[in-house]
This record gives sequence, structure tokens and C-alpha cells, in this order.
Amino acid sequence: MPTWQDLQPFLVSGLALGGVYALSGVGLVVLYRATGVVYLAFGAVGAMGALIGWSMIHVGAPGWTGWLVCVLFAGVVTLGYGMLFGPALARRDPLVKAVATLGLTLTLFGAMDLLWTTGGGQSRSLTLPTDSSGFMVGQVQVNWTQVIGLAAGVVITGGTAAFLRYTKLGTAMRAMANDREITATLGVPVRRVEAAAWLGCGILAGIAGLLLADLVALDATTLTFLVISSLSAALIARLASIALTFAAALAVGLIHDLLTPIQALSNYRDMTPFVLAAAALLVISRHRVMSAGRG
Amino acid sequence: MLAAATAMVTIVGCSSTSSTTQTGAGTSTTPTTASSSSGGAAAGAGGTSQCGSKPGVTASGSPINLGSIVTDQPGTSFTDIAYMAQAYFNCVNANGGINGHPISYHIVTEQTNPAQIAADAKQLVQSDNVVGIVGNTSILECTINHAYWEHLGISVIDSGIAPECYSTPNSAAVNMGPRYSSDGAVQYALAQHVSKVVFDQSNVPGTGYIAAGPNALAAAAHVPVVDLTENVPISNANSVAIKEVQDAGPNGAVVLNFTPPEALIILQAAQKLGLEDRVKLWGCSTPCNTDFLAQALGPKWNNKLFVNAELTPPDSTNTPSMQLYKAILQQYGSKVSGGVGSFSQMGFTEAEIAVHALESVTGAYTVTSVNTAFKAVQGFDTGMLCQLWTYGSYPMHIPNNSDYTVTPDNGKMAQAQGCTQISSVDPQIATYRQAAGTAQLAS
Repeated sequence: MPTWQDLQPFLVSGLALGGVYALSGVGLVVLYRATGVVYLAFGAVGAMGALIGWSMIHVGAPGWTGWLVCVLFAGVVTLGYGMLFGPALARRDPLVKAVATLGLTLTLFGAMDLLWTTGGGQSRSLTLPTDSSGFMVGQVQVNWTQVIGLAAGVVITGGTAAFLRYTKLGTAMRAMANDREITATLGVPVRRVEAAAWLGCGILAGIAGLLLADLVALDATTLTFLVISSLSAALIARLASIALTFAAALAVGLIHDLLTPIQALSNYRDMTPFVLAAAALLVISRHRVMSAGRG
Repeated sequence: MLAAATAMVTIVGCSSTSSTTQTGAGTSTTPTTASSSSGGAAAGAGGTSQCGSKPGVTASGSPINLGSIVTDQPGTSFTDIAYMAQAYFNCVNANGGINGHPISYHIVTEQTNPAQIAADAKQLVQSDNVVGIVGNTSILECTINHAYWEHLGISVIDSGIAPECYSTPNSAAVNMGPRYSSDGAVQYALAQHVSKVVFDQSNVPGTGYIAAGPNALAAAAHVPVVDLTENVPISNANSVAIKEVQDAGPNGAVVLNFTPPEALIILQAAQKLGLEDRVKLWGCSTPCNTDFLAQALGPKWNNKLFVNAELTPPDSTNTPSMQLYKAILQQYGSKVSGGVGSFSQMGFTEAEIAVHALESVTGAYTVTSVNTAFKAVQGFDTGMLCQLWTYGSYPMHIPNNSDYTVTPDNGKMAQAQGCTQISSVDPQIATYRQAAGTAQLAS
């Protein structure tokens, strides 16, 4: 078994990753509550944004333009999808809505495979200036990108909670989560509120894509399927609670990384999001059954 | 997990030719030795006209059908190897062909589906009427099809991955494959007197077979070795890099056997966390030998990362073969997405050997004549390998068993160690050398 000292670096990397999962999870929850859509293309739009940003930087554009384009691309594509398909799918079953976003995922994934091939040993990386500086916590080196990863999760979670509670648009989103029809009847511009949710979710996808391209890898497959970890956190929170999503995302990141040095479990650590989500759903359903039994 | 993708993009490249009627009458083959190929090491400097016997004359005879099966799926694509072989054949066809016959090259791609791979082989033989297989590069092809090729008497010239590419009588590779290349990387680390070796590779079928070589080398040197495997794509390279460094210790070596993108993210994670100097050295098998990787890593890894190179370093070599390779790549290699690098070098070398063998055939180009010619290749100087390349009639083939070591040098890969034989401590290498002897070093 690894010692506490051995585990410390994994704690840092797990928290950083958990922070990015948290901001992704929050984006998924907000969009779901406003539109009823589980956005499975979250990872793919972020991945493509990051690859476009890399391409710009690769041909000599300043770094900040690449990062900006990454975030804008994800925001615009997500907004475009929401505006184009959202109304048509508004009354459909949640499963249909989710599968429709899988179509967008596969389209983007195919395009990335075509445009940014890995044939011939090609490999790419997107590094942020914050990678090269940092500080020591005990024996552990912490770089500023890791700090940003965790801080982004905290700030986005706190900011989104405040936004939903204290702003008019946030109140409208919460109202739509409760009942879309009644909210519309009360004169809330449903389309506009949905558009804001799609755009916000897309921007978060772009930020997550940028951070994960640095913290994990600039690779279409990896980034596309990292949505699973964020989705797991959102599912644990039953696609409702932002605070619980944040906590679950941190747990996914931490447990995943803390299992790494344990030889017997190391190769199973990628199961972490699935196991946690399945366990949480089982507990939730058991709680429901017991509550119903008492009632 | 061979590929963590749910969608696959199939790119089927196939040449459009009609088949030709083969007759066995009058067929004979002469053993081919040394470097006498028109496109081989004997090629002079300048231009692609050197790749055929009649510069500028387009071959117009009946085509010689050759085939190739390559893996092409998201995250794992070896099409560059076949595309480079195609480029070489196009060059030959534009400069007289093989005794006036153009080579028609049929490339089929597969997505690690055994049934598909078996069907591909039958398609090449029964529908495309190929008489030889050149340029195969597939995760599973050797395992699935080697018995079929043996049954038909087809001797494949390939780039090996699966164990059967090296351990069966009808497959001879120009590369070392993951096991022997990892041997080379570990051997270099051991020569630097590291106190421990951490050998980390993708968690794919065959990891035990690959690790057996490095483990044998480390055991013989009385150096402890830790074998790790990682699920790919790697979901958090930071934790992988930390684990490797912790396991290796300050005087140890971390040796990676991954595709370039996966290796890159581990090495970059190590760099971001300031771990690159926390071990004595880092090593990597051949896939890391690309300028893409050297450029992405930057100068911090100069003389810190040592990569096994199965083929002659292209940046620091200016031989006639290397000039021809670069000229063909430039003129005919528009489909070779990776440009200069190990993959395209392998495709060039396989095509070069095939052309050399085909030129020795007198009479009709049949399965028998072509494959007899392939098997007869002996002591051929490809200009791309450390040693002379031999097919021969052996129960197994590891004709490339000497290697270079390269290290990043400000965005390029530069030679760190010249030709060095892979140690016979690996029992497979010992068995091969017992059967085939030790090949002479190339000039």
C-alpha cells in the first residue's frame, strides 16, 4: 500500500481534474434543468474547440486568440444546435433528446478524426503558460493550471448557484425546470431562456475542453469521452443539485487518481465514474422505494 | 481496450486495376543477394528517376498485383506505411516498372475485427488476384491470417505488431515490433547503469508477451523491473507520470511503450509536474521516434529521453537510399500524412525489398514465382536498417534485430547511439539467431 506521502501528488492531480469535471457537470445540470436535454456532445464540442485553438496557435496566432476561439466555437456550436434542434425536440422524450446530441457527438468526432488525424505518429499538445510555474506544497509540485482547474470548478459552481438564485434569467431557468408550459404561460420568453442555457453550457464546454486539453490530452477520443466523468457527477446529483454535482465531481476525480498507485486496483480506476454513478442511483432508488413504502 | 471509440471512420484506399492472367510456364527465380536493387542503397543521388530501370518511361505491361492489409481506426492508423509503399510503386511504375510491368497495389483497411481481417485476405487473393503481400501493418492480421498465407505459400513482407509476425515461417518484418523495440529501449537504460526499470505500456492484448523481453533483459542484469499497464486513451496522465516516477526512484528509468499521442501526454505531464529530472532517464520504444514528439516536448528532454529507433535516423542521414526515400515522399507521397518518420520509412523499405525481389523473377509473375523471390532475399542492404535484411526459409523471422537510439535535440530526433544488437538474452532473439545467424551490419 502506498504511504500518505506517496498519495499526496495524486490528491493534487485528482482535485484539479475534479474541479474541471465539476464545472462540466454544472454546465450539464443547468442545461438539463432549462431544456430537459442531457448534452452528450459536451466533450466533443470542447475537444473540437481545443483542436481548432491548437491549429491557430500552431500556425502562429497568439495563444489567447486560440483559447478564445476554443471557447467561442464550443459556445456557438452548442447554441446553434440548441436553436436548430431544441424546438423540434422540446416535446420529445428525454431519451430522444439525449440520443440526438449523440448524433452531434459522432458528427464532430468523425470530423476531428478526419481533420486532425493521428496517422503517421502525429501527436499534438496544448499547453498553457500557467503550466511552467507553480509552488510546492510539502514535497508536492503544484502548477497554476491545476490551481485554475480546481478554482474554476469552485467559482463556476458558486457563480451558477448565485446566478440561478438572484438573477431574473436564473429564476426563469429554475421555473422552466419545474414546468416549461406554465412558465411559458406566465410570459417568460422560453426560447430566449433556453438559448441562454445552451450558450452558457457551450461556453463551459469550451473552457473545460481547454483545461482538459492541457491537464489530460489534446486528443479527440480522450476529450470526447471525458464527458462520462462529468455526466456521472451530474447523475449522482440527479441532474438537479449543483452543489451535489460539485461534490460528486471532486469525488470522481479524487478516487480515480488515488487508486492509481494501488497496484491491484490501478487498472480498474477508469471504472470510477460508472461505479459511483451506479451506486448512487441504487441508493437513490432504494430510498425512493422505502419512502413510498412508508407513505 | 484496443480503441475507446464508438465510431469508426473507414478509409478504403484501393487501386483500380484489372487482374492479369498468371501462368506458371517458364517461371524461374534466381536468389537475390547484396545491394543490387535499382531503388535500393545503390540508388544514386537526386530525383525519383532512380527508382526504376527506365527513367521517365511509364510501365505499360500487364500489372503485377500486390496487396496490403492495414489497421485504420480512430486512434490507431497505419495507413501511412501502405501509402508510402504505394508511393514507391507509383515511382517504379513511372520509371519503367518491373521489367515493363507496373505494380498494381491493393490496400484494404480493417478495424481490428477478426472476421473482417480474414475476409480481407480472401478478397485480396480471390477477387484482386494478388500474387504477393507487402506492407501489412495490423494489430491482429498476423494472428488471424498467418495460417492462410502459409497454406497458399504466400510469404508476407510486413511491419509486425502481433507475436505471429515474428514467430511464424511466412512473415518477415522490416521493423522490430513492440517487444524487440522495448528490448532495445530497456537495453539502453541498463547500459546507463540504472538501478530499477519501470516498463509501462498500453493495456492491450499481448502485453505479457511484450513485457517478457524487457523482463528477461533486466533479470539478466540483476536490475528489478516493475511492469505497468495503462488503459488507453489515458484519462489522467498526471497520475500515470507520478506513479511511474515514484516506482522508478531517482536512479531508475521509466520506459514507455505507447503510441506517440499517449507517450506525449505522459511525458508532458511529467514535465508540467517537474518530474522529468526525478529519474535517471526516460526511455521509449520506436513509436516515440517522431519529430512531432520532439517538437512538442521541447529542449527539456534533450539527452533525457532515449528512444529506440528501428530504422536509420532520417534527419542525420544523407545516403542515396535516404535521398530517394525523401524524393519519393515529396513527389508521390501526398497521402502520407505523417511525412518523414518511421512509418513512411517502413513502407519505403518494404516496397524496396519487394521491388528488389520482383526484379529477380524471370518469366511470369505468379504466386509461386513472386513468393519464392521474396523468400530468396538474402543480405539485402536496404539503406534503412542497421543490418542487411534476409527473408530465408526459417521457422521464424526477426530480420531486424539491431537498432539505433535517438534523443530529442531541440525539436528533432538526433542519434544518441549507433547500431547495437538486441541482446540474445531475450529468448526469442536467441532462437532466431540460432536459426538464421547474425546478420552483417549494413555499410
